[in-house]
This record gives sequence, C-alpha cells and structure tokens, in this order.
Amino acid sequence: MTTHMTGTREEWLAARLELLEAEKELTRRSDELARRRQELPWVRVDKEYRFETDEGSASLADLFRGRSQLLVYHYMFGPDYTAGCATCSTIADGFDGFAVHLANHDVTLSAVSRAPLAKLQAYKRRMGWTFPWASSLRSDFNFDFNVSFTEEQQREGVIEYNYERGGHAMDATQVPEPVAQNAAMTGTDAATYSRDRPGMSAFVLEDDVVYHTYSTYARGLDGLWGMYQWLDRAPKGRNEETGGVWWRRHDEYDKR
Amino acid sequence: MVKRGLDTHKTVTQGEWLEARKHLLTQEKEFTRLRDRLSQQRRELPWVKVEKNYVFEGPSGKETLADLFEGRSQLVVYHFMFAPDWEEGCRSCSFWADGFNAIDLHLNQRDVTLVAISRGPIEKLEAFKRRMGWNFKWLSSGNNDFNYDYQVSFTPEALENEVEYNYGKQKTDSSDMPGVSVFYQDSKGNLFHTYSAYSRGIDILNPAYNYLDLVPKGRDEAELEWPMAWLGYHDQYEDRSGNTKREAR
Repeated sequence: MTTHMTGTREEWLAARLELLEAEKELTRRSDELARRRQELPWVRVDKEYRFETDEGSASLADLFRGRSQLLVYHYMFGPDYTAGCATCSTIADGFDGFAVHLANHDVTLSAVSRAPLAKLQAYKRRMGWTFPWASSLRSDFNFDFNVSFTEEQQREGVIEYNYERGGHAMDATQVPEPVAQNAAMTGTDAATYSRDRPGMSAFVLEDDVVYHTYSTYARGLDGLWGMYQWLDRAPKGRNEETGGVWWRRHDEYDKR
Repeated sequence: MVKRGLDTHKTVTQGEWLEARKHLLTQEKEFTRLRDRLSQQRRELPWVKVEKNYVFEGPSGKETLADLFEGRSQLVVYHFMFAPDWEEGCRSCSFWADGFNAIDLHLNQRDVTLVAISRGPIEKLEAFKRRMGWNFKWLSSGNNDFNYDYQVSFTPEALENEVEYNYGKQKTDSSDMPGVSVFYQDSKGNLFHTYSAYSRGIDILNPAYNYLDLVPKGRDEAELEWPMAWLGYHDQYEDRSGNTKREAR
C-alpha cells in the first residue's frame, strides 16, 4: 500500500491550483531568461575554423546550411573514444526527432565533436540518427568554446568549464563513479573521457559574418535533455538516489 | 520568415561578452534551482484514487488503465489531440511527439511508462503512427470517459459554453485539447492520479522550445498569425532531414 498522502478530488485540486501559480511563475521566468539571452551582446568570430562534414571540408559559416542561426551541440566524442558518450546519446535521441522542425524555423542544429569524421559517421549509423555531425579534429573550435581541454590543462588543474575553474565533477581528484562509468562506456579512462565536455553554443550569420551569441554547459543543458523534463513530472522524480549512471545507449538496453 | 533586424545588434569583445554571460548564468542557475524545487512540490501533491475502470483500445486489443503501466509503478499519459472524426493527429501534438518518441525507453529504466491516449479510433491512430514513424504506445479512449474526466475533451453541448481547461473556465471551439496526466500504481494494484498539466504547463516537455529559447531570434512567433503557424508535420517539410544544404539567401 502507498504511504503517500491521498485525498479527494477537491483536496487535490486545491493543492494543484496552488502549485499551478508557482508553475506559471516559473514559465514566466523562463520566458524572461530567454529574452535576456537574446539581449546578450554578440562576439564576432574572426578565426577560420575548418570542419570535416558528410559534404566535405566546411567553414563555420557552412555549418549554418543557408539558415541564419546555428546551434552547436558539443557532443562528447574525443578522438580516443571507441564510441560516442552514452549520456550525450540520450540527449541526441531527443533532438534527432525534432531537429527537422528547428531547420524549418531558421535554426540549423548540428553536433560537433573532435573524433575523426569516419568514427562519427559509423556511430551515427549505429544509432540511426540523421542530424548533421561535423568533426572539429583539426581545428581549435572545441578548445576555444571550452568543451575540450589539453592534458597539460588537466595536469595543472586550470580547466575552466561552465565559466568556472575546477568546479565540475570531471575535475575532481577522486574520480566520481558516474564519470568512471561514462568513461568505461566510451572505452577510455576517466582522464581521457574528461578532456571533452558537453555544451551547447549558438551562433548567428549576418552579411557573411559569424557571431557567437551564447554557450551553456553542465546543468545548463538540463532543460535540453528531454527525458529529465518528463521524469520531473513522475511521482518518483528523477529516481537517482542509488547514484551512478542508470541510462545506456538505446540499443544497449536488455529489451525494447 | 520574419526579419527582426538582427543586424542592429550590439557586438562586443570576448571579455565584455563573458561578463554579461556570467551575470546571466547566475540567473539561469537560480532558475534551475527553482525548477528543482517545483518538481519536489509537484511530488508532494496528494494523490486521488482512481475508482473508475477505464478500458482502452490498444494495438493488440483491450487494455485497462492498470495494464498500461506494463508492470511499472508510474504512468505518464500524453493527451494527444486526435478527435474521432479527424484524419490526422494534431500538428502541434505531433511536434511534441517527435520530441518524446525516442526517449520513452530511457524513461522505462526509471520505472516510468509513457503512452499517448486520444479519442480517435485505434485504426486511425495506428495508421498515423506508421506514417510518422513513431514507436511509442498509443491507445484510443474513444469508448470511455477518460478524456472527459481528465479535462482534455469536451462534448458539443459543453462547447456551447465555457469549458473547464487548465484549471480555469475558457471558451474554445476545439473538442480536444493537449495535456499530460500522471498516475501511480501501488503494490496492491491501487491506481492513483497524481498530476495533470495543460496549455503552457506542457511547454517545457517540448525540448525543441527550450532549444529555440537559446537562439538569437528566440521562438520567433510574435509576428505570425498564430504562434505555431510555422510548424509542419515532419514528413511535409520540403527539407525533411534538416540536413540538406540550402542555397544561401
């Protein structure tokens, strides 16, 4: 039997109406944050980044594919990984389904990773995804947008991720269990795994000039990670008290 | 596409941008904490025992509300707008479904079953699901009161006056509206309704909008005839993959 408080429909409704006000307030705050994001100043991108894509060598402007806005998902797939990050894969499962809608609303959503293009292509085939995915292996792109770090930065403890130095679980001296698990799922050790990090960056193309407008990392990605928004509505919530990484790639669960 | 005069936007150095960005980050973190707290409050809502025995038509026959849990303890229902006389599911709901289609199996790992329920007959739901290439389970409530009880469908008589939707009275012409309802099944098989959200309450469950909230033009819907006028079914866009390279404008 449940130990949770139960009530009549009327009692539930009274509590629900109170919560509704708080939900509406949060929605308004979310709209307000979106407005503030749009008000951020832009930074002109002067560096000539080169990417490898399905269509060949491409510039950052090419990644827009004729649209005026570009969202880059910084997908963790370092050159030494044997497979894409499993956590990023659950995020990609979500956006693979709706990237087409964004494309028809003047936004190209593209993943970018450091692994060589052939690895990205093979993994994308395995996962059955269709979104564009470019390799930044031969450019500074990932380093400049603070999602890839050198062994030296790691050694010296000077990694700045999510706008702060050494603040993330992937920077901890004692490797947290989820980081170790994620690393194992990409066929690497924790240090190698942690040299790439997740993030989302936004760019705008105007008169052939690319501007960087926004980047978010760490829990800033939480709202972009479809499954968590649904779990936040379930009675048990995210249900993660046992710790560790409970998710797998979609083709790695025991049964469908 | 409406041009919003982005070309007049303020541009700055990396250092100045960083300062503005860090200021916004503080507000974003505060928002994330507020959202976590709200999720906690949601779970503290009392539950209401479900006394009615709802029977749905599923892909392989009749199923009760209890059956829909598939052995898990939590059930999330997406109230997909598909009235019995419609030939296609609602376009906006299809947008939502494109977002959750591939994540239900991840939710299963956390003891959650996600299904869609509509009043349309199961044959129509199945045909539309095939057309859209979706995998989630979709059931018809055409022969029961489920949609009416959870306030997402309205009788022709009810539509003559204001209807009760999103916890308030409003006038609408639409017999069906979108929403999400959540249920819990205890070890004895008792069923409870725990939560329902409607209207913009399901906004955050469409991650595509959260993505649009990050780009320079935002949702970019203000100057359209209605907010989602830009939206199509994913198989009806000229460019279906979002992958095709377009001619530069």
